[in-house]
Amino acid sequence: MTLDALPSSFRDPSGFVFAENDRVYRQINNGFAKHFDQFMSSGLYDVLVDKGYLVAHEDVTASNIQRGPDCYRVIAPEVIPYIAYPYEWSFSQLQDAAMLTLRIQTVALQHGYILKDASAYNVQFRHGKPVFIDTLSFEPYVEGVPWVAYRQFCQHFLAPLALMARVDVGLGKLLVTYIDGIPLSLASSLLPLTTRFNYSLQTHIHLHAKMQETYADAAGTPTTAKNSATKNPRQLSKTGLQAIVESLASAVKSQQWKPPQTEWGDYYDNTNYSDGSTDEKRRLVDDYLSAIDEPLNVVHDLGANTGEFSRIAARHAGLVVSQDIDPVAVERNYRRLVSEPPKNVLPLLQDLYAPSPAIGWGNEERDSFRQRGRCDAILALALVHHLAISNNTPLSRIAGLFAELAQWLVIEFVPKSDSQVARLLQTREDVFPHYNQQGFEEAFSAYFNIVRSEAVAGSERQLYLMRSLRSDLSG
Amino acid sequence: MYQIIITSVLIVFSPQTFAYLDPGTGSMILQGLIAGIAVAGFTIKTYWYRILSFFGKAKQTSLLEEEEEGSPKKEDEQ
Repeated sequence: MTLDALPSSFRDPSGFVFAENDRVYRQINNGFAKHFDQFMSSGLYDVLVDKGYLVAHEDVTASNIQRGPDCYRVIAPEVIPYIAYPYEWSFSQLQDAAMLTLRIQTVALQHGYILKDASAYNVQFRHGKPVFIDTLSFEPYVEGVPWVAYRQFCQHFLAPLALMARVDVGLGKLLVTYIDGIPLSLASSLLPLTTRFNYSLQTHIHLHAKMQETYADAAGTPTTAKNSATKNPRQLSKTGLQAIVESLASAVKSQQWKPPQTEWGDYYDNTNYSDGSTDEKRRLVDDYLSAIDEPLNVVHDLGANTGEFSRIAARHAGLVVSQDIDPVAVERNYRRLVSEPPKNVLPLLQDLYAPSPAIGWGNEERDSFRQRGRCDAILALALVHHLAISNNTPLSRIAGLFAELAQWLVIEFVPKSDSQVARLLQTREDVFPHYNQQGFEEAFSAYFNIVRSEAVAGSERQLYLMRSLRSDLSG
Repeated sequence: MYQIIITSVLIVFSPQTFAYLDPGTGSMILQGLIAGIAVAGFTIKTYWYRILSFFGKAKQTSLLEEEEEGSPKKEDEQ
């Protein structure tokens, strides 16, 4: 192949994804031509796009876009401005992505098609809703054949949801370690005994894990059930398959997580801000973002909590990626996104102390936070004291990373006299002699021009608008 | 015990040209095992909702039917 397939798309031989001029394209290989044409003319594509389940695409085969050998078609799918991964989703985001996958499976079956994979990485969030991005995931349904992606669905969706709901919501992060979903044997051993008496989890997780163990070597031995099954076909009817899909939907829906109060869950009710100064901070953030005379396609709100200021930034930006370390805050942020506008906010879980790494084959299948982090502006409100004091990160390193990622920065300095900082220092020695407004401005001036700086009336905090000194950043 | 059940209910696994995943033999067989109960469960649920709907307490039969646009997400219960 003469052009580089993106490292995330090597698994499926039907085609691959590549990038040219900052746009993502998908090549469909000759071997998949018949399936693709049938899929496009079956009406399924139109129904899925019409329902908002699948990204639309444009056929650009006739254009002069480069292509690899064995090319049948080149399509340009709708642009998704920020690619996020399942381990960055809140509980409800993963649940909604699971339901979307099952809804697509149901519609596909009605049209004589079936999903040939059920990877959570095939789902992204657009306008506040999950959307399927892999146009090549559909193949003709053959009556009698069980669902090839049943195991993958359980590993990518049901197992993490059950672990998050019934053990600890933080276990969603196991998906970082297991790129093809949480092994069912692991999920089975971690889930509490009570789940053995839950029919859905007993069958789809515990029994499923046991079956995998029992038949682990089945492929290699000639006398195994697999081979005898081939000789004695006992087929799974379409009704049976649809009922299994319904049963999975019921299993997914019955996983419920009630967000408890956590450190930041009640943040906006418990800050240093009086109502008046919160309004003042809102006004300043709005004002600073209005002052930026360049288009803001993607803005990262880091330490976004429940996304209060992301929604102000959303007035000025194409998309605000609203990230926080706290699963409760991200969950609330997402629930709010589902129920009310604006929709151009993407709540995600992100731990800046140890951001999402690059994972997969050669560490290049899924990009790290830093690789994906380039944006037009960063919003860092009530954040710097956590990075500098809780995590001991030198101010110059914070400034350096922000300057690498964004041209513009709206950042709030929180002094030691602020009760939030005092709280952080209460139980430890103050080893931060340079953590003051002067030290902050000096550290950031090495990377940024300070364009505006104002005290937030009614508080001791200072808000800045800065522009990166780097000229090679185009955002 | 599972083995006894399993050997009595065998499912065909026909690899398809573009099914690039390994479906796992155990996973394929399990689907055949649970399909009967799943069909029975879904049938009962369908009739139950028909009864509810008869008494004016209509509910969607399938969880996979689309939810109404803009329907509020379940709220925090704290």
